[in-house]
Amino acid sequence: MVDVLYVEDNPNDADIFGRLMRKLNRPFTYTVLESGSEAVDYLTGQGRYKHQPQSLPKLVLLDLNLNGLSGVEVVQQARSIDRTRFVPIVAFSTSDSPRDILSAYEAGVNAYVVKPGSYQATGSVIGKLCDFWLENNTRTDYK
Amino acid sequence: MNSFAVDLTNCEREPIHILGHIQSHGYLVAIQSDTYTIVHVSANIAELVGIPPTQLLGQSVKTLLTDTDLPVSNLIELLNVGCRNDSWDTMNPNRVTLNGKVWNLIIHQYLGLILLEWEPIGDDRNLLINQQLIAQSLTEVQSSRTLTDLLQNTAQRVKTIIGFDRVMVYRFGADWHGQVVAEAKDDELEPYLGLHYPASDIPRQARELYKVNLVRLIADATSTPSRILSELGWPENRPLDLTHSVLRAVSPVHIEYLKNMGVQASMSISLLYRGELWGLMSCHNTTPRFVDYPARQAAKFVSQLLSAALEFRKDQEDKTNLLQYTQKGQQLHEQLILSDDVVRALVKSTVTVLDVTEATGAALLFNDKVYRLGKTPDEAAIRGLAEWVHMTDPETFLETNQLPNLYPPAEAFRDVASGLLAIELSRELTEYVFWFKPEKIQEVTWAGNPDKPVTVTTDGQQRINPRTSFAAWTQIVRNTSSPWHEVEIGAVVKLREDILQVVTRQANEIRLLNQRLQVAYEELDAFSYTVSHDLRTPLSSIRCYSEILLEEYGQDLNPDAQALFQKIIDSTDRMRSLIRHILYYSRMGRTDLSTQVVDMKQLLEGIREEILVTTKGRSIQIDIGDTPPITADPTMALQLFTNLIGNAAKYTRLAANAVIRINGRQTDDEVIYAIDDNGIGFDMKQAGKMFDLFKRLENSREFEGSGVGLAIVKRIINRHQGKIWFHSEPDRGTTFSVSFPLPTHS
Repeated sequence: MVDVLYVEDNPNDADIFGRLMRKLNRPFTYTVLESGSEAVDYLTGQGRYKHQPQSLPKLVLLDLNLNGLSGVEVVQQARSIDRTRFVPIVAFSTSDSPRDILSAYEAGVNAYVVKPGSYQATGSVIGKLCDFWLENNTRTDYK
Repeated sequence: MNSFAVDLTNCEREPIHILGHIQSHGYLVAIQSDTYTIVHVSANIAELVGIPPTQLLGQSVKTLLTDTDLPVSNLIELLNVGCRNDSWDTMNPNRVTLNGKVWNLIIHQYLGLILLEWEPIGDDRNLLINQQLIAQSLTEVQSSRTLTDLLQNTAQRVKTIIGFDRVMVYRFGADWHGQVVAEAKDDELEPYLGLHYPASDIPRQARELYKVNLVRLIADATSTPSRILSELGWPENRPLDLTHSVLRAVSPVHIEYLKNMGVQASMSISLLYRGELWGLMSCHNTTPRFVDYPARQAAKFVSQLLSAALEFRKDQEDKTNLLQYTQKGQQLHEQLILSDDVVRALVKSTVTVLDVTEATGAALLFNDKVYRLGKTPDEAAIRGLAEWVHMTDPETFLETNQLPNLYPPAEAFRDVASGLLAIELSRELTEYVFWFKPEKIQEVTWAGNPDKPVTVTTDGQQRINPRTSFAAWTQIVRNTSSPWHEVEIGAVVKLREDILQVVTRQANEIRLLNQRLQVAYEELDAFSYTVSHDLRTPLSSIRCYSEILLEEYGQDLNPDAQALFQKIIDSTDRMRSLIRHILYYSRMGRTDLSTQVVDMKQLLEGIREEILVTTKGRSIQIDIGDTPPITADPTMALQLFTNLIGNAAKYTRLAANAVIRINGRQTDDEVIYAIDDNGIGFDMKQAGKMFDLFKRLENSREFEGSGVGLAIVKRIINRHQGKIWFHSEPDRGTTFSVSFPLPTHS
């Protein structure tokens, strides 16, 4: 099981995320998926994940502006089934448009973070996200 | 007046065409059209033919003349010709001599019977005079004499023809009450000119009869009428119909009425126009007087000439008015088309709505405002009236010359608005044009009291006694204006079409613009989104990779290369802020305002904190004076003051001691804030483009900026219906002022 599932179709952003995660120098694991539909399959154990179901990540970091299935649709599908109803999902988007923010929350995200747009700031945000969601947050599967 | 019946329902039903009597100066015989069998005779027939009625009824018409010297064949021939041609009028009157006496025989056919009526002849010398009088009438009608003269002269002519001592021209009003509009009389008689008579003087069925039978003569009101007898077995429910009879006796009630007036002979001639009764020639004589058939025809002819002339003139008058109103209406239409501003075109131009009618006042209710012209009720009264008109839902127009009788509150302003003509522009928006006519205090002289006293007869039935006096009394007609004419109504209905055309066109244009705006907004949204996302993403990449290069390979780069990387990073910063500003600017124009009272002290102190943090190391002083609250969208207000104070901080960078002063004050209708600095200032001559997007002034080049900040400020001010202005001189500092309107308590 991975700590962070990052859904991002922009290879540069995915690359920068990877660099920053390594730079954190903490024992966090992560997987990057390039599309919304794959993310849904991953989370719900369908498609290519049918015979190798994954346990749920501790945090789903979700870019909203995806080609094909949009981020909001991913959230809606995840929230519509029991298994993933409470999985922590944080929207991670370039957009700061009130409409986008609202529709993300309506679909059921736990938080909304605007991509800062610089290496330093992005690093700091990712650090904080990992600290909080992987260490401070208590999930429903808490034993 | 002729045939004054009584205006009670039972009287309205009085069958005045089948009263069963004729006047005793003539004789009547009715025969079957096909068999010439006598079915009705007047009781006095023996005076004429020497045979009692009982021996005539049921017999052939040939029986009638057996005791006279007139050959029966003459009469039969006359009847045959009439029947063959189905035309009796052309033959009337037939001169017949019976036992040495000459009579006029007048024949007509009606409801399967032929009616023969004998009446005396007049003086043949009159025929020539009468023809001259008719010729004069024609000449006069063709010349353009005044209406009053025409009426007066016609009355005089009729008087000459029939030799009565009083002839009146009597005209009906819209409610069928009548007025004497011309009179020719003998000097010793009391004048009736100008008198008004209640409608009840001539009930409905009498008016109907007068449209069919145009001339009525009562030769002697004191004589006893002669009964009409019918053959044995004639059905009682089918009495002889005297609609077209020349000898028809009138109701006893009317006879009594005439006696009370001191009149013993009366004659009336219907004045018709387009099949409708518009008036009567009413003639009275104090002694019995018979008018022979040719003279009656001459009088009728003169009256008809008058009738035609009067209406022709009325048409002319209407045409002149119509022409005038049409021209004015046309001008209004042009004004409407030219200005596209309904209010300006209708009430603020050379020609106004007041010019298309005879009204003395007008009001336009449009866009929830009231515009008044001429003499009108006050605005509150007009708004109240509009509510009432709205309730009555006139659809196109409403007209009354007795507004207070329909809408009692109008009594308060009946002096200026007893008459109302209204057109509806929009029921939903309560938009109308009103025209007002003042109360016409009409001194109405009625023939006696129109509220006739009702007396109860011994048999318990209510009957009205005919009024026994012609002593006039005056009644003030309240709450009435002069009537609205067809041409006025026509003019305003046309005007309504013109206005609606323009309003609809404007509405459509606005709708179209709205649609285009909608499309533009959607495109702008899409564009904004693209800018915000697709443009920012690669920019982030440039930025991040530059930072990574500096961070991870910085030690391998010489200082020059490092500086270049720093430039890349700075440029991405600027571009990012530019993108943010543009997005903000476009959003400012779109998002809904949620206005509330903004605590300005808190807002300004917050901005001061932030600026002092970002300008660390500078000598800068920000003084906040009075801070009256404003009513605004808090987010936008914050943005606006952040931009203005930020600008002040920016352009005072070169000052040794930057001083920025912020002060608010409240006036009656707005709150004004002034932001004053001692910065570089600017040349007012350039200030025209101050608020343009991406425009920057010449001397600001040294200073960082996107040229969007003030454009955002301007847009926010516009969204709040506020104002922004400034004063500056190069190197002498700048003052910006913004004002926010106080919320209206409407």
